[in-house]
Amino acid sequence: MSDEEHQFESKADAGASKTYPQQAGTIRKNGHIVIKGRPCKVVEVSTSKTGKHGHAKCHFVAIDIFNGKKLEDIVPSSHNCDVPHVNRTDYQLIDISEDGFVSLLTENGNTKDDLRLPTDESLLSQCRTYVFHRIQIKDGFEQGKDLVVSVMSAMGEEQICALKDIGPKN
Amino acid sequence: MIRPIWEYITGLFDVHLDFGPEFGGIRGRVQAIKPMVLDRWIMPPFGWIKINTDGSAMGAPGNSACGGIFRDCKGAADLAQLQATMQAIELACSSIQMHVNPAAAEATLLSLSQSPRPYHACQFILENSQLANARFQAAGAIRDAAIREWALLEAADRRGLISFCLCFIMNNANSPEGYVLVKVASVAAQLLKRGWPDFTAAEKDAFFLEVKEAVNGSHGLDVQFVGINFLESLVSEFSPSTSTAMGLPREFHEQCRISLEQDYMKAFYCWVQYAAFNVSSRIIEAHSEIPEVKVCSAALRLMIQILNWDFRGKNAVENLKRGIDVFYDGMKQENSSLRRSECIFVQPGHAWHDMLISSGHVGWLLNFYTALRQKFSCEGYWLDCPLAVSARKLIVQFCSVTGVIFPSDGGHMQRQHLLQLLAGIVQWMEPPDAVAKAIKSGKSESELLDGCRALMSVATVTTPVVFNELLKNLRPYGTLTLLSALMCEVSKDLMENRTDDETWSWVARDILLDTWTTLLMQLDGSGHNNSLPPEGISAAANVFALIVDSGLKAASASVLSDGDEYDFLQASVTAMDERLNSYALIGRASIGATIPLLTERFSERVMRLHQGKGISDPTETLEELYSLLLITGHILADEGQGETPLVPKEIESSYTNIMEVDKHPVVILSGSIIRFAEQSLDPEMRTSFFSPRLMEAVVWFLARWSSTYLMPPERSGENKSSYENCNETQHSTNALLSFCGENNQGKVVLDIIIRISLSTLLSYPGEKDLQALTCYQLLHGLVKRRNIISHLVTLDSWRDLANAFANERVFFSLNAAHQRSLAQTLTLSTSGMKTPEASNQYIHNLTSHMTASLVELSSKNDLKTIAQQPDIILLVSCLLERLRGVARASEPRTQKAIYQMGFSVMNPVLIFLQAYKDESIVVYLLLKFVTDWVDGQIIYLEAQETAAVVDFCMRLLQLYSSNNIGKISISLSNTLRTGADAEKYKDLRALLQLLSSLCSKDLVDFASEPIEAYGTSISQVVYMGLHIVTPLITLDLLKYPKLCHSYFSLLSHMLEVYPEIIAQLNVEAFRHILATLDFGLHHQDVEVVDLCLRAVKALASHHYKDSGAGKVGLGSHATSYKEPDGKFHEGILGRFLRSLLQLLLFEDYSTDLVSSAADALLPLILCEQSVYQNLANELIEMQVIPTFRSRLTNALQSLISSNNLSSTLDRINHQRFRKNLHSFLIEVRGFLRMFVLRGHCYGSGCFLAARLGWQHGSVASIDVKQACPSSIRPTLAGFGLNGPVLNGLAILEPNPNPSGLRAKWATIGL
Repeated sequence: MSDEEHQFESKADAGASKTYPQQAGTIRKNGHIVIKGRPCKVVEVSTSKTGKHGHAKCHFVAIDIFNGKKLEDIVPSSHNCDVPHVNRTDYQLIDISEDGFVSLLTENGNTKDDLRLPTDESLLSQCRTYVFHRIQIKDGFEQGKDLVVSVMSAMGEEQICALKDIGPKN
Repeated sequence: MIRPIWEYITGLFDVHLDFGPEFGGIRGRVQAIKPMVLDRWIMPPFGWIKINTDGSAMGAPGNSACGGIFRDCKGAADLAQLQATMQAIELACSSIQMHVNPAAAEATLLSLSQSPRPYHACQFILENSQLANARFQAAGAIRDAAIREWALLEAADRRGLISFCLCFIMNNANSPEGYVLVKVASVAAQLLKRGWPDFTAAEKDAFFLEVKEAVNGSHGLDVQFVGINFLESLVSEFSPSTSTAMGLPREFHEQCRISLEQDYMKAFYCWVQYAAFNVSSRIIEAHSEIPEVKVCSAALRLMIQILNWDFRGKNAVENLKRGIDVFYDGMKQENSSLRRSECIFVQPGHAWHDMLISSGHVGWLLNFYTALRQKFSCEGYWLDCPLAVSARKLIVQFCSVTGVIFPSDGGHMQRQHLLQLLAGIVQWMEPPDAVAKAIKSGKSESELLDGCRALMSVATVTTPVVFNELLKNLRPYGTLTLLSALMCEVSKDLMENRTDDETWSWVARDILLDTWTTLLMQLDGSGHNNSLPPEGISAAANVFALIVDSGLKAASASVLSDGDEYDFLQASVTAMDERLNSYALIGRASIGATIPLLTERFSERVMRLHQGKGISDPTETLEELYSLLLITGHILADEGQGETPLVPKEIESSYTNIMEVDKHPVVILSGSIIRFAEQSLDPEMRTSFFSPRLMEAVVWFLARWSSTYLMPPERSGENKSSYENCNETQHSTNALLSFCGENNQGKVVLDIIIRISLSTLLSYPGEKDLQALTCYQLLHGLVKRRNIISHLVTLDSWRDLANAFANERVFFSLNAAHQRSLAQTLTLSTSGMKTPEASNQYIHNLTSHMTASLVELSSKNDLKTIAQQPDIILLVSCLLERLRGVARASEPRTQKAIYQMGFSVMNPVLIFLQAYKDESIVVYLLLKFVTDWVDGQIIYLEAQETAAVVDFCMRLLQLYSSNNIGKISISLSNTLRTGADAEKYKDLRALLQLLSSLCSKDLVDFASEPIEAYGTSISQVVYMGLHIVTPLITLDLLKYPKLCHSYFSLLSHMLEVYPEIIAQLNVEAFRHILATLDFGLHHQDVEVVDLCLRAVKALASHHYKDSGAGKVGLGSHATSYKEPDGKFHEGILGRFLRSLLQLLLFEDYSTDLVSSAADALLPLILCEQSVYQNLANELIEMQVIPTFRSRLTNALQSLISSNNLSSTLDRINHQRFRKNLHSFLIEVRGFLRMFVLRGHCYGSGCFLAARLGWQHGSVASIDVKQACPSSIRPTLAGFGLNGPVLNGLAILEPNPNPSGLRAKWATIGL
């Protein structure tokens, strides 16, 4: 049941346009861009000219939002670039398994179990400490009740991008 | 009873072991249990062996170790031990050189210089070591130890150390390792300076007697050389800019400087002059290189150095009497002289007159150099040999001698002096063409360059007329002609070889340009027109024509070199600007020739462009036009720098005879450029000629030109009164100005400019730089001027621009920042409208589209899904940027409309903040928009509106906080994670700015009724805001300097203005604020610490005053209490008192902070009298030496009692306390800090011994397994001791000492 639901959702996602064209000159630092078919976040933009009296071109340095690799591209600034549609969805965290897979509660009450925390050792341990710290310091913690996982999806890929505590503090 | 060993191995105790003759019965005892601040090692009685031990641990449990040294009654002076030390140091030095285990070797060296009183060992090494490096290190160790322990040394020891160093350099003068001598000389110089105020004049003279004899040459050349070297290091040590800090206050350095200048400087100069004079005659007689050369060039160098000294003369003494002001004064002087040029004035004062000017010293120097020149063919001498270089430098130095050294005879004496110098110098660069040719064929250029430098120095100290006349006494032409001839040669060379390397002609060009600038700036400043002689004007005209032509040639040549110069663009643009500025100065000096020249060149190029249309590649011509536009812009107008620039004086005062507008040369030139620019409106012309780069120059020129000439404001007032006098000038100026006046061509030109801007914005897609110039410089400059605005709003073209901006989609493809600027510009232009209603309506029309689309978007049901689409993100951010631009242009008359605009998007803003909580760009824009909007609006708002805005801000803060608190971002990329941090920082900074602007409502308020009418209290609100924001500000984020700064300035402002409200915060928020304050107190940035001190002062003063008046003050926060579990909580004020005292006494900080620290300390002491007493007692207890103890007691006492200090917090009392604290710190800080240092050095001394002992055998090393208690974890852990761990307590290894001493160290039991 839950699997079917799931497929339906991702189909709907696939139907929507994955990228949008946007003039290179308007893409700013911290914005998103597609380079070599990968969705990236721009960390540096500089402009230069083709020859002294030629036209401007933009030089992007960007980082793949999923694998963290650095990519670069040069585009004439009046041309269009592809900008990925980056979506973020929040889920409540139910459980973290030993192998780093998480169990998430979707808005309509189903669970989503196909995502895992980053495999990178230090990041994983950082997440674990974070989660267990939250669990320890709260009396009467009900599983996942006040931990939210933010999932980023773009161009058919998904990844957990943030953890957040929505405890009763505020 | 057996105690664990670590209680003994602390370095606190002397453990005496008596081995006795029978070696069997070991008796041990702990001699004294006292703090480790022993003054010095005390030898044990005969027959006893003393062990000094120390230990350390890195963590518990962790690596730990200890060591000890065994010494008998002969103590440290043991020759064997000195030998051992020497060996260890030599080993360390050679292992550093060979790069074998450098860390350990460095530790050994460090431990030598940190051990107490290493002087014997160091002197031993200096005298006996064969290894030069070891001697070098030993000298350094003497210096380090002596500076550290200076206060503890006997007067005789101090003198002894200095004379030892001096004797050492004199005795070893012929040693081949010069660097050791230099080091020892500098150690002597530093020690001499350290003790300078304490030595009597007789003692100093005794030192210098030796030096003087050495410099005189009575002990041979080598000694003479080292003598001069010593003086060199002494002078540089005493000069504030090159001195070593030595941990002493600036006053100390300043006193030494003044004293040396007054009492010894002249004598030094005299000695070296004599020395140089003597050896120079021998050099001239000799035919090859002789050893005297070395001495002579050293002497010349010292003379240069002395002349470079920052002479203050009598002023300095007077300044010193006034106190600390002396630094302020010094700074001011430096600033004023910096502006001129890099040339430093030499102003030794009139006392030096007889020595430098009237003694024929200059003549000797010039003759000496002339003689040297003839020897350049000999072996050992050449143009760039050190001796020649120093001699030339000294000559150049003499050119900048000025000031009271010359008698006040109308400059006659100075002219004679300069003439004498110039006669010598002019030979180096005459005739210019021949010299340039010689350089091209391989001759060294240094003479020419030094000659140029000399000309610059002369130009700096004289006026242009005098400058020109100088050479006329020797030659048929003036100095300016020479200058222009030189410039021509240099430009020719530049044109011929265009390389990227810096050649001699680059350097020469920069020096010569500086010379021109120096000369012409003087004209500018004095306001006298035409003070450049006619010869000078024609010289300038020649130079300028050459510059223009070489510039054009360079431009056309550089077209094809695309290159990577883009990386250096920023730097080269500034350099280029500077150069253009000096070109413009030269051009304006000969304005009569310049303008026609430029007009001619310009129209020539335009013609060529048209003729070549479609036939040849126009790029070269385009680049030429580009450079012509730049130089013309610089000539015609000044940069405004925020003010309306006037027509340059030179232009205004020339062409006085031209009455008709159309014939005014400037009008002709400007007209032709504007007509050319207008052609860019034709699409066909645009595509074929107007490249983005050329357009940039056009827009830049229009911006610069229009701020001076376009519709200039009517000149009235002072000009009318002097109308009679300058009738003619006035006419011509009027002719010039009326060309583009409001009634003449002005409107037409303005229309052209607007249409050009519209076309750059629309027809050059993606050309950010060009559009930035248009938005920020051209349009922004226009709307700043009242005269223009009122015409602007009536123009059709302006209306077109506004309409296109509001309605056309193509504007969304502009850079967002440019859209913001355009919105701002359009809003600002409304002040040109006749009625406020019209302006408000205009803004309403402008913004209604944008707000409507934001509202519509936010109310969409599927916002959550579509919001993340890139096109929607782009739309939202562009709209927000525009609204922000409008908000930034808030003015009283348009305030209503802008308030309406913001009010209508309040809800959408909150909705977007929620929808885009993960899209940092949009969040930042939202926050910035709100910040700017509130900042512009808040002071005008009525009470009801304020309540709405404040409520909105609180909701915004809460929403932001709940979205971000407790969030961690997980990303594989480090860059992205730090990027996320940076974004958070920017957001928070915006929020803090928002709070600050809310704060300003309490200070400035234009509302008709008080805001309290609606129950709003700004202070409450801001504290609420702080409460929401502070949990987001982690100590990590405070590492961003700007955020840190704005946070603490807001905090200290709040605490100063509303201290009563902080007491109402809950415990957690309060604690967080205090934690950040504590963090701020130890920040490196002086300003941040100052802000924190102000906050602490405010807190404490509030508490003191309130509790004095019988109110609660800070209430429970301030009182100390015991928790049920027995933990003692000190009140916050007590805690601050403790940490502030700790900071003041033991840590490093800028002396500028003492005053504000005093202001904070006084109320703290008054609040917490008992804590202060306890702290004082603790401090006194720590001192073991009776004299220091009593000094400290007295100082602590007088800190709170002298100067009639009372217990009030008024201004006078604060001032008194500041004085008290200053003198308190001067009195005690020296020795208090000394013991902190010594405390941990003591241990390292033992450690060094232990290290050495492994070789020598008289020392045992002991490893201890158990983790040491925290009380004995001194900083030694840093040495990283790590050894095999032995079981049990401690075992002494069988000792291989040849005397056969075998001992077992049993447990020490009492």
